Amino acid sequence: MTMAIQSTHTPKETVAEEPSAIVRMARMLWADKFALCAAIFLVFVIVMAIIGPTWLDELATKQNLRGRNLAPFMFDREWYMWLGADALGRPLWPRIIVATQNTMMVAAGAVVISAIIGTLLGLIAGFASERVSQVIMRLADVIMSFPSLLVAVIVLYILGSSILNLMLVLAITRIPVYLRTTRAEVLEIRQRMFVQAARVMGASSKRILFRHILPVVIPTLTTLMTLDFAYVMLAESALSFLGIGIQPPEITWGLMISQGRQYLTNAWWLSFWPGLAIILTTLSLNLLSNWLRIALDPVQRWRLEMKGPKHG
Amino acid sequence: MKTSHLFGAVLGSVIAFGAGIAPVHAASTDIKIVLPEEADLLEPCMATRSNIGRVIMENVSETLTELDVRTKQGVMPRLAEKWEQTGDGAWRFHLRQGVKFSDGKAFGAKDVKYSFDRIFSDKNVCESRRYFGGMKFDVKVVDDNTIDFKVDPVQPILPLLLSLVTIVPEGTPLEFVREPVGTGPYKLSNWTPGQQIVLDARDDYWGKKPAVTKATYVFRADPAVRAAMVQAGEADLAPSISQVEATNEKTDFSYLDSETVYLRIDGNIAPLNDVRVRKALNLAIDRQAFLGTLVPQDAVLATALVPPTTLGWNPDVKVFPYDPDQAKKLLEEAKAAGVPVDTPITVVARTANFPNVTEIMEAVQAQLQEVGFKIDLKFVEVAEHEVYYSKPFKDGRGPIIVAAMHDNSKGDPSFTMFFKYDSKGTQSGYADPKVDDLIARASAATGDERAKLWSQLIAYVHDDLVADVLLFHMVGYSRVSERLDFKPSIATNGMLQLSEIGFKN
Amino acid sequence: MLRFIRKRALASLISLIGLLVMVFFLSRLTGDPASLFLPVEASAEMKAEFRALHGLDQPLLVQFGQYVGNVVTGDLGESLRKARPALDVVLEAFTWTLWLAVITMTLVTVCAIVVGSLAAFRTGGFFDRFSSMLSLIGASVPDFWLAIVAIVIFAIQLSWLPTSGTGTLTHWILPICVLFVRPFGIIVQVVRGSMISALSSAYVKTARAKGVKSGPIIFVHALRNAMLPVITVIGDQAASLLNGAVVIETIFGFPGVGKLMIDSILQRDFNVVLAAILVTAFAIFLMNLVIDLAYALLDPRIRY
Repeated sequence: MTMAIQSTHTPKETVAEEPSAIVRMARMLWADKFALCAAIFLVFVIVMAIIGPTWLDELATKQNLRGRNLAPFMFDREWYMWLGADALGRPLWPRIIVATQNTMMVAAGAVVISAIIGTLLGLIAGFASERVSQVIMRLADVIMSFPSLLVAVIVLYILGSSILNLMLVLAITRIPVYLRTTRAEVLEIRQRMFVQAARVMGASSKRILFRHILPVVIPTLTTLMTLDFAYVMLAESALSFLGIGIQPPEITWGLMISQGRQYLTNAWWLSFWPGLAIILTTLSLNLLSNWLRIALDPVQRWRLEMKGPKHG
Repeated sequence: MKTSHLFGAVLGSVIAFGAGIAPVHAASTDIKIVLPEEADLLEPCMATRSNIGRVIMENVSETLTELDVRTKQGVMPRLAEKWEQTGDGAWRFHLRQGVKFSDGKAFGAKDVKYSFDRIFSDKNVCESRRYFGGMKFDVKVVDDNTIDFKVDPVQPILPLLLSLVTIVPEGTPLEFVREPVGTGPYKLSNWTPGQQIVLDARDDYWGKKPAVTKATYVFRADPAVRAAMVQAGEADLAPSISQVEATNEKTDFSYLDSETVYLRIDGNIAPLNDVRVRKALNLAIDRQAFLGTLVPQDAVLATALVPPTTLGWNPDVKVFPYDPDQAKKLLEEAKAAGVPVDTPITVVARTANFPNVTEIMEAVQAQLQEVGFKIDLKFVEVAEHEVYYSKPFKDGRGPIIVAAMHDNSKGDPSFTMFFKYDSKGTQSGYADPKVDDLIARASAATGDERAKLWSQLIAYVHDDLVADVLLFHMVGYSRVSERLDFKPSIATNGMLQLSEIGFKN
Repeated sequence: MLRFIRKRALASLISLIGLLVMVFFLSRLTGDPASLFLPVEASAEMKAEFRALHGLDQPLLVQFGQYVGNVVTGDLGESLRKARPALDVVLEAFTWTLWLAVITMTLVTVCAIVVGSLAAFRTGGFFDRFSSMLSLIGASVPDFWLAIVAIVIFAIQLSWLPTSGTGTLTHWILPICVLFVRPFGIIVQVVRGSMISALSSAYVKTARAKGVKSGPIIFVHALRNAMLPVITVIGDQAASLLNGAVVIETIFGFPGVGKLMIDSILQRDFNVVLAAILVTAFAIFLMNLVIDLAYALLDPRIRY
């Protein structure tokens, strides 16, 4: 289909295909200002996740009991104090930046693992024999009704608390939603004309799954994944609060939120900034995924391409 | 247009609902108390546990004696009118007459004996049994109002110990009960698990009739909500709120709550088996800097694991100064003598163990690292904490320090010292013959001799053995509605006597 | 259909048993309830007595055998801490949770479908941007923020509603409103995404090309098609509510199953944990069955 669209363009463009794809994406991004902001923010987050800990670790862990719960917006102080300080007088700005790495590792890890496993199992459950499907679906029921907290206590008690284990715990608990979503879609799609046709024409199951069905399921899954990012970060916060998640001196946004909890009524900034970081990340991921969905969809792409030249 | 109509309708119904909230103070002598944790049982023999004791101790179930903490008169009579020690070390208690249980039965010596037997029954695991470990009891009913306790070994503080034993009527099931019957000024009239417990004043109580006629207990885990409930007039008393919420001078009171925070050192493992290293730990911590910041201003720096109101508390023992240079020097000395001071030390703390525990422990870690210790800080939940805190300790463990909180509001160090310092104590990291000897002698002594021996022990543990890093005697905050006349005390943590609550005007 | 339900019930029963077996053994690996029930000063003998009293000193397999024997006769054991039957404790709490979940999810479903499809109808329009922004913020706000802020505003400042607790209908308003926010945010997004796909799919285009002018007809058709992923996600959110809304229950003092479960897990009150999982799992299995039937109802081509 992509080929079909491209062939309608002038030959000149087809020659310079490599750069033009990037340029076109950039143009389409430029066309959607919300998505552009989101992309810039996410790039910033990723850069911070990579360089943050080495760059600011010292600032972020320097305690100052006299500067406890320092209020934000005191612009006459050093830049890193602008967001205020936490209960140990550690500046919040650098702490949030340093925490980005752990946060992103846990959240992205958990979301990606659960999405991949869930989707694969869902595809299988939707396509395989009834018996296999039954087994997978009942397994999903079991995971769904296994309280995530209990999973956390068991895994962390037996294996010890670490970022990797926490990621696993959160990933396990999120598998069923991807699994069930994928399977439901597969059940529906496999009855559709084009899949039936492909089957008649002798396409292998694998080919039908990955070429015909997966592309239809992916938009819904992306929406779920971006939302799960927020969910996982907050779930991790709740686990920290109960003493079975990430524990200091490690930091994550979720941990910062749960540590600020008791100061909510008189030092709101302690949990507000990391909370805002989570909100902004979720928002950006979602805006970008909505944009990506349009940009990758040959049928809808014109919306962005129309706007592109006008604004750019 | 439509949406604005809808919004109006919703708002209208919200206001209508709001107007329907019943006034809280229906009768002015009924009060509502909001506690952090629901009692899972209302079992009299478990009343020494704070979540149970705060509801029933001395309200529903009474004891033979009680410890007076407000006017510091020591052990006072309650169900026993007087007592004396006979020649062979046995105790004779003369019981109050004309006392009735809330089920109408008369109280007598047989009930006391039954209550005792019940604690030691194998049909239950009563918590109060732990105070009588290693003792043999011979309880004899002399007559209806007299009872003899013969204990082996002789217990000089038996009257104090009896302030921990609640009396139930003869015939109470040996298994745990959920509906306590007692001689107290109140009786349980309603318990809806998860929602509320209601106590009503009894007309046939033997003593002075208390001002509060009815007390309703509700439970909210969040301290901000507890404070908000008193502020909003939905409750009259929140015995424990957090320090950050305690901002209103008229309603919020602080009280020394008998909890002591300390770092328990496992002195069996190098480098913590070296006294210089332990001293360095103590000198490295700037205790004063915590006061008014992470720890309430009114908290007291600890020199013993028992609060200053305890018998034998030693005023001559001084808090370690903050002296990082001296700490560094001691560490170097130890290192020169071949002590492996570079071994990383694990500090284990329990989440939500006490207010600000995370921040306090992070600050402690920073201060220890400042003088050259290698500290791994580890936060665990309650079950795992217990594994580190109590014996049997794991074989092959590294050097471990456990941050813990210990509660002794009972006025005598015997509830503390054996467990925390004796070589057989469950949380003791030491086997020091001198400590064992002092504990044994102090436990058997009476009067001034007893106080002197405890003082000696406290000084030895702090100055010579440097057994642990003592930090703070903590302070609790409670919010009391302005219509109530009540001041919390050191006992408030584990016991909340409704008869101590009065009304203004 | 009946055959399907019968087969499904059997399969669910097997997985329920598997779940119980797993929880039984795994939870017993996580520590000793005796040292949590008794104070730290309790002697080793007292702890041993506690274990003996509750049969925890037996080999695991023997304990399991006894448990199974009791479960078969409908006895799920006693709570270690509350001295009352575990099932009573759980059912009491679950009733509250069930009501909370049902009311909240009904409201969420209705509101989210309306808002989500309106947003999808004019993609990129003001309503779309606005509602997406709001719902995404809703989906990523820490719930305790909302809860505390709501109490401060509506209970303390305005005195319209009680801070917390149970008793009157007004006590339900704040918890439901706070609980509403996150699933609403998530489901709005899923409805929106799903509707966009459906509206741009071939047959809606065909219908439009054929001259079906009426918006509502197209809308209803697209909605019906978009519902598959939506009900799946609704199911997921409902399941997490049925497992208990811990934060909300904790802050508002709502005696639901979430707080009970957390407390029981942290205190290692195994019988209550098992009973709670049994009850919630039963509800979740039932709900998933209903959802699977709903698939077939929505899309006649799906058959079981």
